[in-house]
Amino acid sequence: MKSDLNKLSPMARRDFMMRTAQAALGVTVLPSLNMAAAGSTTGPGTPGFGKAKNVIFLWMGGGMTHIDTWDPKDGETKGPTDPIKVNAGSGNLDRLGGTMEKMAKVANKISIIRSMSSKTGVHDQGTYVMKTGYEPRGTIVHPCIGAWASHFLGRIKGPTLPDSVVVNSGSSYPGAGFFPTTMSPIPISNPENGLQNIKPTTSTQDQFKKRLSLTDEFDTAFRKKFQSDDVKTYSEFYDETVKLMKSEDLKAFDLAQEPSTVREKFGRNNFGQGALLARRLVQAGVRFVEVQSGGWDMHNNIDQALGTTASTMDSVFAALIEDLQSNGLLESTMVVMGSEFGRTPDINENDGRDHYPLAYSTVFAGGGVKGGFVYGSTDKDGRRVTDKQCTPQDFQATIGHAMGLPVDEVVMSPSNRPFTVGDKGVPVLDIFA
Amino acid sequence: MKQTTKLLSSLLVSALVASSALAEVRTWTDTSGRQVKASFIGLDGENIVLQTEDGATHKFPLTKLSAEDQTLAKTMKPSDQPVMLANATVAQASAAIDKLVANGLVRANPERAKGGKKPITGFNPLANDEQFVRRVYLDIVGRIPNYAETTQFIQDSNPNKRAKLIDLLLDSPGYNSNTFNYFAEMLRVKDRLEQDNLRGVPYINWMQHQIEKNVTWDKLVFDMLTAKGKMWENGAAGYLLRDAGMPLDNLANTLAVFLGTDVACAQCHDHPFSDWTQHQFYEMASFFGATTTNMRAAQNRKEKGKGMASMNAMNTLMPKIEEMITSSGQDIKRLRNGIRNYMSANTYMVGEMDNNTMKLPHDYKYPDAKPNDPVEPKFITWSKNDKNLAAYKQKTKSAEDLRPAFAKWTTDPSNPRFAMAIANRMWKRAFGVAVAEPVTNIDDPKQAVNPELLVHLAEEMKRVKFDIKAFMRIIYNTHAYQAEATTEKIAMGEPYYFQGPLLRRMTAEQAWDSYMTLVLGEPDKYAKPLEDLYSRSIDLDLTNPKLDAQTVLIKYDAFRKMAEKERALQGGSLADAGGDMMMEGGSKAKGKAAAKPAAADMMENTSLTYNGMILRRASTLEQPAPPGHFLIDFGQSPRNLIDGSIKSGSVPQVLMMMNGKAQQMLTSSDSLIFRTMEKVKSPPEKVEALFISILNRRPTLAEKDIAKRALSNGEDGYANMIWALINTREFIFIQ
Repeated sequence: MKSDLNKLSPMARRDFMMRTAQAALGVTVLPSLNMAAAGSTTGPGTPGFGKAKNVIFLWMGGGMTHIDTWDPKDGETKGPTDPIKVNAGSGNLDRLGGTMEKMAKVANKISIIRSMSSKTGVHDQGTYVMKTGYEPRGTIVHPCIGAWASHFLGRIKGPTLPDSVVVNSGSSYPGAGFFPTTMSPIPISNPENGLQNIKPTTSTQDQFKKRLSLTDEFDTAFRKKFQSDDVKTYSEFYDETVKLMKSEDLKAFDLAQEPSTVREKFGRNNFGQGALLARRLVQAGVRFVEVQSGGWDMHNNIDQALGTTASTMDSVFAALIEDLQSNGLLESTMVVMGSEFGRTPDINENDGRDHYPLAYSTVFAGGGVKGGFVYGSTDKDGRRVTDKQCTPQDFQATIGHAMGLPVDEVVMSPSNRPFTVGDKGVPVLDIFA
Repeated sequence: MKQTTKLLSSLLVSALVASSALAEVRTWTDTSGRQVKASFIGLDGENIVLQTEDGATHKFPLTKLSAEDQTLAKTMKPSDQPVMLANATVAQASAAIDKLVANGLVRANPERAKGGKKPITGFNPLANDEQFVRRVYLDIVGRIPNYAETTQFIQDSNPNKRAKLIDLLLDSPGYNSNTFNYFAEMLRVKDRLEQDNLRGVPYINWMQHQIEKNVTWDKLVFDMLTAKGKMWENGAAGYLLRDAGMPLDNLANTLAVFLGTDVACAQCHDHPFSDWTQHQFYEMASFFGATTTNMRAAQNRKEKGKGMASMNAMNTLMPKIEEMITSSGQDIKRLRNGIRNYMSANTYMVGEMDNNTMKLPHDYKYPDAKPNDPVEPKFITWSKNDKNLAAYKQKTKSAEDLRPAFAKWTTDPSNPRFAMAIANRMWKRAFGVAVAEPVTNIDDPKQAVNPELLVHLAEEMKRVKFDIKAFMRIIYNTHAYQAEATTEKIAMGEPYYFQGPLLRRMTAEQAWDSYMTLVLGEPDKYAKPLEDLYSRSIDLDLTNPKLDAQTVLIKYDAFRKMAEKERALQGGSLADAGGDMMMEGGSKAKGKAAAKPAAADMMENTSLTYNGMILRRASTLEQPAPPGHFLIDFGQSPRNLIDGSIKSGSVPQVLMMMNGKAQQMLTSSDSLIFRTMEKVKSPPEKVEALFISILNRRPTLAEKDIAKRALSNGEDGYANMIWALINTREFIFIQ
C-alpha cells in the first residue's frame, strides 16, 4: 500500500499493454510494414542500394535559388538569365538556368530532383532538417548522415583517416548527434591549411618525440592507479592522433600535392579548393565529406548577386564531376548538392528573391545515379510542386540508401527514443540507374 | 485505537521497504486544541520532534500535546531519516550526510558480492592535502590553484584549514564564475540566439549578477519563469526568449531541469516507457498558453495595440530611413537587412495575451480528446497524495494567473521534485555521479542508489532555503567528498555508493580557466569589459509614436560600432600578466615585464590577448565560445541541449592540446609559469615549481630523476617539461 504512494498513478488506469502496443506499432513496426507492402523501396537488390561507397555533399548555404539554377522558367518569374539547352544524352533533362554553362556540358552525368518541398523558411531550421532529416528539437541532437554511416558500417578500414570530414565549416553541427563523438566529422576550416594543429610546434621531430615520452614517464603512476575506461580512451586518442600526425594518409589533407593545373581547374577559392580536398579525401578512403559554400541568401539585386556565386558553383561542380570521372571514382562516389530551401519565384522590391521552402531542387551525380535525368516537377512559374513531391526526409533517406544503410531500421538513442535515417523518409529510387 | 494500529502498521511497512518518502503525515493536537499537520520524527528526552510539510522540524516538550497524542507518540517508531534542526552547524549537517552514505556502503555489499566484487569497508582514505587543494579549487572556483595558493595551503598547519579554504573559495569571485558555467550549460545559455540580432547578453549578465548576490535557487527559477518584457529590460526574460517560438521544447526542458522529470516523448506521443501522456504534457503546456515571446506574433492579445504599433513603426519608418541613407550617398542595399533586423530584435518580449490559446496538436491520436481541442492547465503529480500539497493550491482563473501559478507550483518547497532535482544535481557536481541518474529524469526516488540519502539531500536543500552556496558548503565538508577518488573501475550504469568522488575529466571551462591560471596567475582580476554595451545600444521603443527615422539611424549606428569598441579594448601581451606570485615581498617582476605598463592599470578595461585568443575566464567570453576555440575543441556545450558538454577526447582536441595556440602560449618564455620558475635558481627547485604550478604537487623522487635527465639535453628542457606535464592524463583528470 505504501509502495503505491510513489507509483505514477494517473496513467495506471490505462491498460499498460495497450500503451506498449501503441508505442511499438506506432513508432517502430508500422513503418517497416509499410515499406514491405509498398514493394521493396530499399535494401540489397533495390536500384542503387549501396553503390555509393563515398559521398561528397556540396552544401549551398543561404538558400539556393532554384529558378536561376536547376529549375529554369520562362514566364514572369524568369530571372536575369535565359535558360540554356544541355547535353543530357537520352535523359529527360532539357535545360538549366543560364548561369549553369559548365554543368550544361556534363548534364548527362546528373539527376535533378525538382520537387523538393519543406516546411521551414528559416536558415537554421532548414539547414538542420536538410542535414539530419529531423526538425530541430530542444531535447535531442540528431546525427548527420556521415555519423549514421559510421554507426551502421563501422569505422573505415585501413587508414588512420576519419570517417567523415566537413570542409569550410563554421561549425560541425549537427555532427554525431546522439551517437558517440568519435563519429563526429572532423572540421577543416580552411582547405588550404588542411587539418588544424597537425604540425608539431617543436623545432625538430626528435624534440616532439622526447616530449611524448616525457609525458608517458610522468604519467605512468597516474595511469597505473586509475585504470578507468575514461583514462584509457584518452590514451588511445593520443596514440591515434600521434599515428595520424606521422601517417602518410595525412597527405590526403595537403592540397600542395596536387598539380597547379588541377588546382586552377577547381578554382582558387575556398569552395573550389574544398571540393578538390574532398576528392583527395575520398580517394584516400574517407567515406563522407561535406563541402560548405555560401552566398546564396540573395534578398537584394539577384542579377549582381548571382554573378560569382553561381558561376563558381557551376565551374566547381563540373570540375569535380570531370575529375572524379577521370580518376575512376565517379562510379563509387555520389556527389550531392543541397540547400536549406529555394528562393521566391517572384522578384521582390529589392530585385532579389526571398526564402522559399515550398519548391526547390537538389542534384545528384555518380554513385549509381542516372545521367541527364529529372525527377518531379514544379508548375510553370516554379511556385508549387506539381509531381512527385520529395521531402528533406526523402532526400536523406535517398543518400542513406545509396550508401547502403538500412534506412528502415529503428535505432534507439541513449535516451531511449526511436530514430531512423531520414525520419522514415522514402528513398527516391527513380534516380538510380 | 483502531486508527493507531493502522498508522503504526503503515509506518512499519514503510521502514521495511526502506522508505524514501517521509513518514506519514498526521494531524497533531496540543493541550489547547490547536492542530498541526506533521510527521513524527522521534522523541528526544522529554521533547518530541515533528516535521511539518514545508520540511521544517520542530522540537518541543511532549507534555504540550494532548494526552491521546502523547500516548501515541510513545508507541511510534522514530523515523530512520536523520533530521536536522533548523540551526544545525555545517559540521553536524555534513556528519548526517556521511552517516547516510556510510549506511549505503554497508547495504551495497550483498549486491556487490553477487557481482564478484570486494566488499566496501568504508570511505576511501582521506585525500592528502595536495589532492584536496587541487580538487577543491577546481570544484569551487573552476580552476587549478596557482603556485602560491597551493604552497600556502600545504604549509598551513591549522587543523581546520580545509573548512577554512572551502569558506574562502565559496566567497571568492571564482565561485561565481564556476557556478555560472554550470548553470549556463544546464540552461543552454547562449549569446547568439536563433533570431537575427537578438543576443543573450542581458540574460547572461543578469544571471551572473544573481549568482554574485547568491540569490536562492527558488527565487532564480521563479524569476525566470515569470519574467516579462524585453531581455534588456529584464534579464530573466531571457529564459523564455532563449526558446522564442518553441514553447513546447522550452517546457520539456523546464520540467527536465527544474523537476528532474523527462516528458520529452510526451510532446509528440504518449510516453512509451513511463507514465506520461501527451494529454498531460499539453495540460502542463497550457500554463504557458497565454504567453507570447514576440509582440508581432501575438494575435488578439491585450497589447495588440503595441504589436500593431511596432509593425507600423517598421513599415512606416523604413521608407524614410532608406531615403535618408540614399540621400547621404550610402548604399541602402548593404544596410537594409541590418536595420530591419535591428528593429525586429526589439519585437522580442515576453508577455501575456488575453486568453489561453493552448490546443491539442492537429494530429492528436488518443481517444480521450480530439485534435485541436482546447486544453485546461493541470499540474502533473508523482503520487496520488501530491494534489493535497500546498504547491498544488494555485489560482488559475485568468490568463494572467497561469505563469505565476506554474512558477509557484514549481518552486514551492512542497513540490515533490523541485528541491530533490537541484540537490541531486549539486551532489553530482561534487561526486561526478548523482544519487539518482539521470538527473533530468529521477523517475522513482526509491530506485535511487541510496534513497534515504536522496530524500535527505532534498530536505537539506529546503532547510537551507535553496541557498546553493550553503548547500555546497555542507557537501564539500563531508568526509565522503574529502576522501580519495575511487580507483576501482565503474562500468557504465553500475551503481556507485560514494565512498569518495569519482575520477572526473575537467570540463572545458575548468581546463581553459586552469590554462588562464598558468598564464595570468589570478584570472579573476581580468574582468569582462563594458558588459551593458549591447543592452544600451540595441534598445528601441517601437511603440513610441514619436520614434523617427533619424533616431533609429543614430541608434543603429551606435549599435554597429559596439563591436569596434569591444575590439579596441583588447591589447596587452603575456608578459603583462600576473603579479608577483611566488615570493611575497620579494623583488618585483624584472626585465621586460617591468618595462610594460603595470597589469593593474590595464585590467580596468583591457583584456590581454595571445595570438588572437582573449585571455580571460571562460565565463566572461562569448557563450558558447566560437568554433575552433580551445573551449569548443575541449567539449564545451554548444548549448543546444541540457548539460550538453562532452567529456571525451577527439582527434582535433588532442591535436590542440599538443600543437595548438594555447600550448604555444604556455611554453613561450613570456608566460607567467616560466617567470614563476625563473625566480628560483637551482634546477631541482625549478622542477618543483613546475610540478606545483601544473599538477599542484611536488615531484616524486623518480620524477626528479626523469626531470634531471630531460633537462640535461638542451635548453628546451623546461619547455619540454611544461608540455609534457600539461599533456598528462593526470592534468586533465580531477582526482
